[in-house]
Amino acid sequence: MKRTWVVMRKEWREAFRGGKTIWIGTIAIPLILLGASLFQLFSLSDLHAVSPEELPQVVGVLFLVPLLYFMMFPLVIPHQIAIYAIMSEKEQKSLEPLLATPLRTSELFLAKMLASVLPALLITWAAFALFLAVIQALLPANVLEIAWQQFGSLWLMALGLFAPLAATFMTLASMAIATRVSDLRTAQLFSSFAMLPILLSMFFLVFRQMLGRPALLGGLCAALLVLDVGLLWVNVKLFHREEILTRWR
Amino acid sequence: MIVAENLTRRFGDRIAVENLSLEIAEGEVFGFLGPNGAGKTTTVRMLAGLLAPSSGRAIVAGVDVVAQPQRVRTLVGILPEHPGLYEKLSAWHNLKFYADLYELPSPHTQIEKYLRLLGLWERRHDPVGTFSKGMKQKLAIARALLHEPKVLFLDEPTSGLDPEAAKTVRDFIAQLASEKRTIFLCTHNLYEAEQLCTRIGLIKQRLIKIGAPASLKRELYGRQIVIDLKEPLVLSEDPHLPFVRSVQRDGRRLLIELDDPEQHNPALIKKLVELGAQIQFVREQSRTLEEVYLDLIAEERQ
Repeated sequence: MKRTWVVMRKEWREAFRGGKTIWIGTIAIPLILLGASLFQLFSLSDLHAVSPEELPQVVGVLFLVPLLYFMMFPLVIPHQIAIYAIMSEKEQKSLEPLLATPLRTSELFLAKMLASVLPALLITWAAFALFLAVIQALLPANVLEIAWQQFGSLWLMALGLFAPLAATFMTLASMAIATRVSDLRTAQLFSSFAMLPILLSMFFLVFRQMLGRPALLGGLCAALLVLDVGLLWVNVKLFHREEILTRWR
Repeated sequence: MIVAENLTRRFGDRIAVENLSLEIAEGEVFGFLGPNGAGKTTTVRMLAGLLAPSSGRAIVAGVDVVAQPQRVRTLVGILPEHPGLYEKLSAWHNLKFYADLYELPSPHTQIEKYLRLLGLWERRHDPVGTFSKGMKQKLAIARALLHEPKVLFLDEPTSGLDPEAAKTVRDFIAQLASEKRTIFLCTHNLYEAEQLCTRIGLIKQRLIKIGAPASLKRELYGRQIVIDLKEPLVLSEDPHLPFVRSVQRDGRRLLIELDDPEQHNPALIKKLVELGAQIQFVREQSRTLEEVYLDLIAEERQ
């Protein structure tokens, strides 16, 4: 486990010196989504002016779309880090000296995966905590309480279940794609395609006003779990020492 | 230090290395020569515990590469064909990463030792991407030595370097050899192999020849003496000498093949003088390793 941590630290040090795309993917896009979530709340309705009787209904409408934004975090953030983790090793031809150390391929795989999944989850949760803090600070005191009553279980499911599954899905898909292509832009393009089915499912649920149903979100999580298991199997096959040395180009 | 027995590696139907057997003693600098695609890198990867052989076995530093590849990897250092450094990280962070992977007890001491030894200490905080090719190669060598391996595999260590940088690297390899490390050197640079290696092995999927550079030359060409005369020699009788294997004439020059010039040169020269030869110069014909290499590879093709 110690060597896994060593590789993860290297991944982060390298990735965040890797250029604009990493910063855009991990910091700029989440900030935009957070801004959009808050804009949604503050621009569409003045909750201070809403009567206590109408407040639950208004909150029910206003808080649904921000949930969609927060569900996009774990899809967007790991995408660039996971691609970079594989492509930079390939481009710099650093895999052979790395594999010549006592590092196990399972440790290498785990390090590459966690180096993408962990920041995605931490940023998602931190952004959501900030979102809640802003609501508590700037909106009427009972708004958060009403929102929690209506969305509490959904938020927990989205952030506690969907977010790890989605971050793992994007990471594993991006890693598998990056092992098989020789160019960074191609990897980014194909990896973006992998994100589309999940995003479209989420938008579909929002526009049909079904995202608020925990059973449907649970179904989406179950589908992601199946995909994650499949992608894990693919990645385990790809992360063999001989496969890496002879087939990763 | 390295023992390989019938080491074979197949990739599908293609045989990369076939029945390779060799023994390399501790402290030896062994040169591994062969054309592109001959199986040099595959052999290194098998011996360094990176690739499993399809059949055969190898013991490196007393450890079986098939049974304990991870243990082998802690005992050997490898300099691949490409330095494979992290260009955005500093020289220090590159080495620190590897020192942590090897779980070195005093990583900072080791990093400083090799950065100073290879003249990179002043540039330790600079990103490796700003380094020259020679500096990168030196840093990659430092990385391979960081954990003080008993066996060092060097794949084309001077490839693409300017003459000055190549000489620095060669001198450093010679220094490592004097420290009794076992060095397995893959190279296309035959001058380098001749300068550094105690023995060389020629490979083209299978081992063609193995031996010290001088003995390979002797085996292939015998030993030839070049005698330059003042005037062409007109012989009234045939100079029958039992130790002379062949005589070639080229104007005022005689090319004589002998088994043991140190022993037989005095008698040969005495006989030639008796026959009226006016000898200006006597020297041994030197063959290069390049000639040996090209002839053996051509012979293998036929």
